[in-house]
Amino acid sequence: MTSLIPILTLLIFLPLCGSLLVLALRRSDAAARGVALAFSVAELALCLWPLALTGEKATGAPAGFFLYQDSAWIERFGIRFTLGMDGISLVMTLLTAFITLIAVLSAWQVKERAGLFFSLLLALQAAVQGLFLSLDLFLFYLFWEAMLIPMLLLIGVWGNGRPVYSTIKFFLYTFVGSLLMLVAIIALYLMHGAQSGSYTFGLPALVHTTIPYDLGLWMFAAFLLSFAIKFPLFPLHTWQPDAYCDAPVAGTLMLGSLLSKTAAYGLIRIAFPLFPEAARALTPLIYVVAVLGIGYFAWIAFAQRDMKRMLAYSSVSHMGFVALGIAAWSPVAVSGALLQMVNHAVTTGALFIAVGMLEERAANRDLSGYGGTWGKIPVFSFFFLVFNMASAGVPGLNNFVSELIILVGTFRVAPLAAALAFLGTILTLVYTVRLVQEVVFGKEKAPLELKDLSLREAGVLGVMALVVVALGVHPGPVLELFRTPLEVLLKQ
Amino acid sequence: MTLADLYSIMPIIITAVGALFVLLCGPLLLSASLTAIGVTASVAAGVWAAFSTPTSTQAVAGLAFTPLARFLIPLFCFAAAITLLLSHSYNERRGIKGEEFPATVLFALFATCVLPCATNMLILFLALESVSFAFYILVSMDLSRAESGEAGLKYLLLGAVAAAFTAFGFALLFTGSGTLQLSGALARPENRVIISAGWGVILVGMAFKLSLVPGHLWTPDVYQGAPAPVSAFLSTSSKVAAAALLLMLLALSPPMPELRVPLAALSVLSMVLGNLAALRQQNIKRMLAYSSVAHMGYLTLALLSGSRDGYAAVLLYGAVYTAMNLAAFGAISSLSVEQERELITDYAGLGFTAPLRGGVLALAMISLAGIPPAAGFIGKFFIFYSAIKAGAIALAIIGILSAAASAYFYLRVVAQLYMHRGESPAPKPVSLAEGIALCCASLMILVIGVYPGPLLGAIEAALQ
Repeated sequence: MTSLIPILTLLIFLPLCGSLLVLALRRSDAAARGVALAFSVAELALCLWPLALTGEKATGAPAGFFLYQDSAWIERFGIRFTLGMDGISLVMTLLTAFITLIAVLSAWQVKERAGLFFSLLLALQAAVQGLFLSLDLFLFYLFWEAMLIPMLLLIGVWGNGRPVYSTIKFFLYTFVGSLLMLVAIIALYLMHGAQSGSYTFGLPALVHTTIPYDLGLWMFAAFLLSFAIKFPLFPLHTWQPDAYCDAPVAGTLMLGSLLSKTAAYGLIRIAFPLFPEAARALTPLIYVVAVLGIGYFAWIAFAQRDMKRMLAYSSVSHMGFVALGIAAWSPVAVSGALLQMVNHAVTTGALFIAVGMLEERAANRDLSGYGGTWGKIPVFSFFFLVFNMASAGVPGLNNFVSELIILVGTFRVAPLAAALAFLGTILTLVYTVRLVQEVVFGKEKAPLELKDLSLREAGVLGVMALVVVALGVHPGPVLELFRTPLEVLLKQ
Repeated sequence: MTLADLYSIMPIIITAVGALFVLLCGPLLLSASLTAIGVTASVAAGVWAAFSTPTSTQAVAGLAFTPLARFLIPLFCFAAAITLLLSHSYNERRGIKGEEFPATVLFALFATCVLPCATNMLILFLALESVSFAFYILVSMDLSRAESGEAGLKYLLLGAVAAAFTAFGFALLFTGSGTLQLSGALARPENRVIISAGWGVILVGMAFKLSLVPGHLWTPDVYQGAPAPVSAFLSTSSKVAAAALLLMLLALSPPMPELRVPLAALSVLSMVLGNLAALRQQNIKRMLAYSSVAHMGYLTLALLSGSRDGYAAVLLYGAVYTAMNLAAFGAISSLSVEQERELITDYAGLGFTAPLRGGVLALAMISLAGIPPAAGFIGKFFIFYSAIKAGAIALAIIGILSAAASAYFYLRVVAQLYMHRGESPAPKPVSLAEGIALCCASLMILVIGVYPGPLLGAIEAALQ
């Protein structure tokens, strides 16, 4: 039956159709919102379906992939519309659908041009889903770039602070990086074509290209640059705090929870398997920037008074763990990194939403404006505490598991890096405790009229808290999904 | 001359007859019907060309309906039809009257249609100069504005110099090879020095026509001064025609390694200086003019690879560039009120107050910046692909980095459209003709961007 219904294509085109439909309905905010919600729920449901199919074997699929689709597209260049789903893609598409649904719900209050807003959210979702599923390098690049325009508008039109400055900075950074990646992609394509006689952008074929060591280093560097900017890794992060802070809440959520994951996914799926030698040669560099990132950004986060900015730095700091796990490139470390990608998306995303809720109420993001929320808005404070505990790595909650797995996996390969990264986690504790202390427990600094969470808001945070606890207590099934694909990837 | 010959050059005849008819019967007819006749003639010529089979036999002396012509004539006709559709309400708003406008557009179209059919250097030169001649008139068509006349004069003076260079180049090629026939003209190894000199002089003339640095100086003034629909037509058809001329000459001549350095220099200078200069512009048409300089630099990059891939990339980029610039100038033309909106800041907030035109302008900018899924990405991809394949990796990287920088000034327009609030006067409602024109151009951008297969097939056929 699965061969009859092109699930993978649907996963991309369902949100795209939703986006166009919402655009057509933009005159009525309520209709646009409702349709956007319906489409994001349908997308999540569609993403759940492949969970039941993981045991199958698709015809013609590369090893590890249980869903596969391949059709001609631009034949002159051997570009094909090839999509595939393995355990990693499955988890990533699920994450994308989940986060987009949360984004739609958290943007419920957007008044101004709501139709266009939701339309862009769904378009962005389509691009991200496509990226996680594509097995053709050209297609991957296309989706990689297609994410930029919706994001650009989401930040620029609905942002606050200096949105135009931030959004153009974000755009230029990522655009420059990705164009160099395009050069590397074309070079790889030509090299593979010259060697094998068949010109193709298909990832499974390109993996077998023999690449001279020097050239490979340059090409890997081009990929790494592109991914490191979106990650973002130290010192290419300077666009990130501005973009995260000035974006509307749903935009920050998409940017911080999903777009940064596309970069990590690109490293795991594409850059490391394509250029194993070059990757090994540059691994020390990645260790350094990852560990530096974990510590340095945690340190900077501590110095922030603006909560959103603090979370922005906290977000990059946590992404350092993902980079660390990928650099170690062992089954344990990479599966930890993949799990950390999910956890980071949920935990940090929830914190951004929570701060957004506070800001909505008091029009203020500064720490000094808050205090003693525990007594006034207990439901909010409870969730805020839970997500902060998760972010700090309290056992039983999700981040603890993935960070521990990464540290264990890395320690076997690079003990020094793991030890230093461990020290970084202590710094995380410092700023998290401060955030909680000042906002939730400290004395009220200015009298504030705060209303506790509405049902919608409590629902959003509640679902995310459930995921946080579930992944913290029982991460086994997710890790199991990563096992087979990682065996294949690491063997290459 | 047989009936088949007549059929094969029918597009040229249709455009010529259309132009004469409009000119002669103009005083008797309404201006709307003149525009309609013009559009019909362009569409008819384009459709005829697209559905007839090319031959290599000459229909009349010096003209043959070549495969290249079969690809280019519909493209030129598309541009002319869009220009006419745009110009009608624009001319009404600006008080440009008379049948000269549609007639001259058709004359320009006639000349561009002749150009790819030429089998003879004289015809080629005459066609090229007829194109320019028609544009000298079109640029200065807005009699009520001094800038328009000034732009026309500048274009004419510099154009005359360029024409002299081109003519001298053709003369040298003739001296070197002893024949005016294109097919036999360029392969005479014993006179290589003279032929190379001829090529050098032709490149000078072509640098002017394509506005490659350092021959670009007229471009910003002319684009700014000309009426917006004329800028749309000028920046697309005349450029593609000039590129086609270079393509025809290069494809027929033996490999010319001595051309590589000058072409590379022209290309790099245009890409880098064009984009850098565009960064500083406040006027949208000047910005697009410098952007056009840069885009012609990309095109030259593909040209210099000297391979079939490179030539295919030139043709694809020609088509893509036509769509993008028609959309951009079309939106500018349609958004103009009594005055054109000159500054980029004049477009603030128009994305919401004029959704269709704002959207088309934004799409054109995104495409010009080379961001998928717009066609500009496929065009740039093919160009850099052919350059890398030909081993010009350094040039490709320079080009790509300058393209990355160019994203900034294209995005500034998008930012103005959607992220700023403006106090500029509200635009008039979009007319039906403008709506059709803008939709066609943007549809072309999207279709090429998402599914370029058929177009690539047509290009393959054109290069036979």
